[in-house]
Amino acid sequence: MKHFLRVVTQFFVFLYFKCLWRGLKFVVRKFTGRCELQRICYNNKHGARRTLKIESSLRYSKNELLQSALSVHPDKVEKTIDDIMALKHINPDTNPQLGISLQASLLQIVGYRQLVAEVEKLRREPYDCENAEHEQMLMKLWKELRPDTPLSSRISKQWCEIGFQGSDPKTDFRGMGLLGLHNLLYFAEHDKSTALQILHDSLQPKHNEANRPEWEQKNQDKAIGYSFAIVGINITDLAHSLLVSGALKTHLYNVAPEMPSLVYLQQTFCYLMQEFHQFWVEEDPSDIMEFNRVRSKFHRRILRQLKNPDATLCPHFSASDLHLVNL
Amino acid sequence: MIFFNYFFFYYYFFLQGLLSILRKLKSTPDQEVRILLLGLDNGGKTTLLKQLASEDISHITPTQGFNIKSVQSQGFKLNVWDIGGQRKIRPYWRNYFENTDVLIYVIDSADRKRFEETGQELAELLDEEKLSGVPVLIFANKQDLLTAAPASEIAEGLNLHTIRDRMWQIQSCSALTGEGIQEGMNWVCKSVNAKKK
Repeated sequence: MKHFLRVVTQFFVFLYFKCLWRGLKFVVRKFTGRCELQRICYNNKHGARRTLKIESSLRYSKNELLQSALSVHPDKVEKTIDDIMALKHINPDTNPQLGISLQASLLQIVGYRQLVAEVEKLRREPYDCENAEHEQMLMKLWKELRPDTPLSSRISKQWCEIGFQGSDPKTDFRGMGLLGLHNLLYFAEHDKSTALQILHDSLQPKHNEANRPEWEQKNQDKAIGYSFAIVGINITDLAHSLLVSGALKTHLYNVAPEMPSLVYLQQTFCYLMQEFHQFWVEEDPSDIMEFNRVRSKFHRRILRQLKNPDATLCPHFSASDLHLVNL
Repeated sequence: MIFFNYFFFYYYFFLQGLLSILRKLKSTPDQEVRILLLGLDNGGKTTLLKQLASEDISHITPTQGFNIKSVQSQGFKLNVWDIGGQRKIRPYWRNYFENTDVLIYVIDSADRKRFEETGQELAELLDEEKLSGVPVLIFANKQDLLTAAPASEIAEGLNLHTIRDRMWQIQSCSALTGEGIQEGMNWVCKSVNAKKK
């Protein structure tokens, strides 16, 4: 019954968009003499506002060329723009800016899809002890986070010091695969001071009462004490779900001038780690058992933030680093 | 356009009202059962939980804290608590012992190096006063792996046959493929019924 009613509701929504919306578009086009894509490009500044509108305009278009533009290969974007201009009878000489704007937006849209595919591939690749590259990355992670202490052996209790669960980090990557390792390593390499600070804080209980029995300590002691690496893998899951659900479009369309690459996601990850850490401290949970409650509250907050089309999730080092990427 | 919007609103509220009435007409609530899911880290507790709730198991991350899900089964409402198995978290397990109806203990059958550790943790759990008499189901998980030890070998290694003060059962399963889980849950429901009598 519930399902049936939902279908009926959907039908009415469909009708609304099919008839009224199209009629409205037709009238406006006759009045202004500009097609929808032109209106969007002229009325909106570069960024998520424009690109999101262009994306939905193309998606709901009746024209096959416009619909397929969303999934076109990045190399063919330029040609697609020319085709669209021809289709809409727009003279490129009198509207020089339009082509450029459209192209930038379309590259962002196509790039986002590519990024999702690339990230999915990384996530599906499990950590493999036989793979020298994987092992090297893991060792590098240790060196970045613990520059002064050498690792006694590949399988060692020391891994717990940077927040893995046991003596072999391999099993902790689980559903996030190599993506988790890539993110952690990027964080440790490119935002080293923050990463070390968070790692340091995560190891420090607020009131250090090491002498008390564990059971008693837990009640008194409001430890920050989460496990750095495990939280990193959890936040990777958060970043991944934001990306796949499309919520991250707002941010990436605002910060990436053209195709967003993996680096952008990794920078978002750094931002999320920082913000989560701060959020955790503000929430002041009594112990680690509240992790999932705090995490879902944090998730909701980020989603709310991303509803604003001007939102960006930029870590403090983004300005200089993003600049480097653009070059 | 305005007319359309109004129509929409009325239609929407009408639906909401109808649904709430339907909900009230629903039959009496099921009997609630509290199930505790414990075991070492990387044993497959969260995967098992997600399988029980028929959710996607490809995005699992190590559990910080706990997860809880409610599952309907055989006239019961099973509230399953999945608590992280990391050594650091194990001291918190005891906070969840109270009112537990069934304990499910998950073992990674392929991780032979830690059989001793997992046996110790289980023995400590069985000694807990708050868990005395609580039926225990042991899942010998990860049977999809070639290196997995058979359930009989694990039962012997853990001296399960010496348990006299409660109902117990060992069930081989694979949380990844879902094999063996239903059999285990059938035993859970059966033991809850037996305890009530």
